[in-house]
Parts: sequence; C-alpha cells; structure tokens
Amino acid sequence: MDRATLSELQTLMERLADGDRSAFHPVFAVLWPLLRRFAARHLRPEEAEDTAQEALVKIFFRAGEFDPSRNALAWALGIAAFEIKTLRRRRLRRREDAVREGPFERLRDQAPTPEEEAMARDSERMLQEALGALPPEDAETLRLYARGERPSLAAATFRKRVERALTRLRSVWRTTDGRP
Amino acid sequence: MADPDGLLRERARRAYEMGRLGAALRNGLLLLPAVGIALVCCSNPGPTLISGAGLVLLVGFCQWRGRDYRRGIRPGLVAGFVPLLLPILAQATGHVCASGGCLLFPAVCGVGGLLGGITLGMVAPRPRDGRGIPFVTSCLIAGLAGSVGCLLYGLVGLGVMFVGLLAGATPVLAARRA
Repeated sequence: MDRATLSELQTLMERLADGDRSAFHPVFAVLWPLLRRFAARHLRPEEAEDTAQEALVKIFFRAGEFDPSRNALAWALGIAAFEIKTLRRRRLRRREDAVREGPFERLRDQAPTPEEEAMARDSERMLQEALGALPPEDAETLRLYARGERPSLAAATFRKRVERALTRLRSVWRTTDGRP
Repeated sequence: MADPDGLLRERARRAYEMGRLGAALRNGLLLLPAVGIALVCCSNPGPTLISGAGLVLLVGFCQWRGRDYRRGIRPGLVAGFVPLLLPILAQATGHVCASGGCLLFPAVCGVGGLLGGITLGMVAPRPRDGRGIPFVTSCLIAGLAGSVGCLLYGLVGLGVMFVGLLAGATPVLAARRA
C-alpha cells in the first residue's frame, strides 16, 4: 500500500468516526481488498473469505470509536488479526474435539487396562475380607442377594436381613478401608 | 443474482450504524445520574422525567448522527448543567418556605439560567456559512438540561430559567459576533 493511499485511509477513517457517511464507500473500497489479501496470507482459501468479511464488519461496527491519533491501517489490521487468531483457536479446539470423539477413540481397545484390572482385583479382595469379617449368616444373605436368590423366607423378612447385613458390611468396609 | 460485494457492503453499513447507535446510547446513559438526582428531589416527577428522557434521547441522537450534531453536545451540556445543578443544590440546603410565598427558588432558576446563558454564549459554536446545526443543538441541549433541574419548581422555575438563559446568552453572543 503506497503512502498516498495510507494517508487517504487515515483521513477517511477520521471522517467516518466523526459520522461522515459519505466516507463509508471509499473506506469500504480501500479496506475490503486489503483484508482479503491479509486473511489469504494467514488462512486457508476457504476460510480466508469468511474471516475477511467478519473482520470488515467488525471494523465498521467499531468505526465510530476510532481514535484519530491512532494509525488507521494498524487499527484495522489489528482487528483482522484478532479475528484470524480467534478462527485458528476455534479450529484447534474443533480438531481436539474430533480426536476425542472421532474414529481414533473408537479404535481404542475396549478391554480394561492393566491399571483398571489391578483396581478391580483390589476392590474384590477388600470385599472378600469385609465379607469374611461379617457373621456367617450375614455373609450368606449377601451372597444369596448378589446372586438374585432368596431362601425359603418371607420377602419382607429377607429384605430386612439384607438391609441389616448391608449396614454391617458398610461399617466393616469403613474400618478396613481406613476411613472414619 | 445479488452482488456479493453489495450484500457485504449493506452488512457493513448496518454494522456501522449499529455500532454508532450503541455508542450513542452508552453516552446518553451517562446523563442518567443527573436526571435521577433531579427526579429524587422533585415532588412531581412526571415533567422532570419527560424532559430528562428528552435530554438523553437528544444527546443520543446527536451522538449517533455525528459531525455538526455532535459538535453541539459538549457546549450544550456545559451550559445546561449550571441551571440543572443549582436548583438541586438549593433544594439540598433545606430551605423551607410557605407554599407560593418563596422567591428563593425561582431566583435560583433565574441565576442558573443567566450563568448557563453566559456560558452558552461563550462556548457555543458560532453559526458559520449557513451551518447553524451545532449552535442549535447546543442551545436545545442546554435548554433541556436546565429544564430538568428547574422543573423542580414547576413552570415558573422553567420560565424564569429560560428568560435567564436568553438574557445571559444574547449579549455574549452579540459581543462575540462584533
């Protein structure tokens, strides 16, 4: 951009900020090709056009706040650069989401990891220890309940026994797990 | 088929106007505390509310329109704030008098108007080359701002304030023109 156009843009932006609507079309004519080139240099062609448009609309939205002591070109390109940065950040976030939800995640082995297996083994061992610490009839009641079986008892009685056994198991579990 | 540059141009134009309107409203709202104080002080808030809303809208419009309209805002507000604040300050001193028998409050409006008029005469943009818009808007804004304060004392206060404004501004403007 040559010095004369730069100076013209500065004058036009000052007039536009002051509310002179006749400066709108000349500013548009100077800025639009400039922003297109600027966006094309930093983005893929399919994204550059949209981003340049968004930047142009934002520049005009904020044109009333333009401070004449600032450089008009630097001000406009600053807004465009922010727009480009925002698009890149959005693109990066989309890519991360795609990786998280995409085909790679489906390809992952669904079998438990060694760590998950170790944790499950630990829990099983702790449960067996807690059951061993219970009175034998409570342990038997819980085993039957876990298998979905019921001894020759009234349903309400069995339910009561299960509740009592679970309360005792919880209390034993808290003790062996080291929690208060 | 629509010209894509034409569509973009229209979008940009709309954005420009919306941006200016938003900024104008934000600036207009800065006057709300002054109007709010006047509303709190007066016993009949209706007329004060109307003139306050008129002032906010007029300042907002001038700010949005820009150029000559905007040039009248600052001088108008500077001049108008004298008759706006003086009656409020007088009210705050707690002067009490019998209904209809008080001469202090109309006098305060008159003095406020006179001082505001002198200020207006000194700071109002001079009408040049047939472009009187900044002068007219500054006078309108000063008048509306003054009326927000002086309507505390009803139409008498308002009338006295306008007489004071005119009496203060005319000789100063004439002297500036000479």
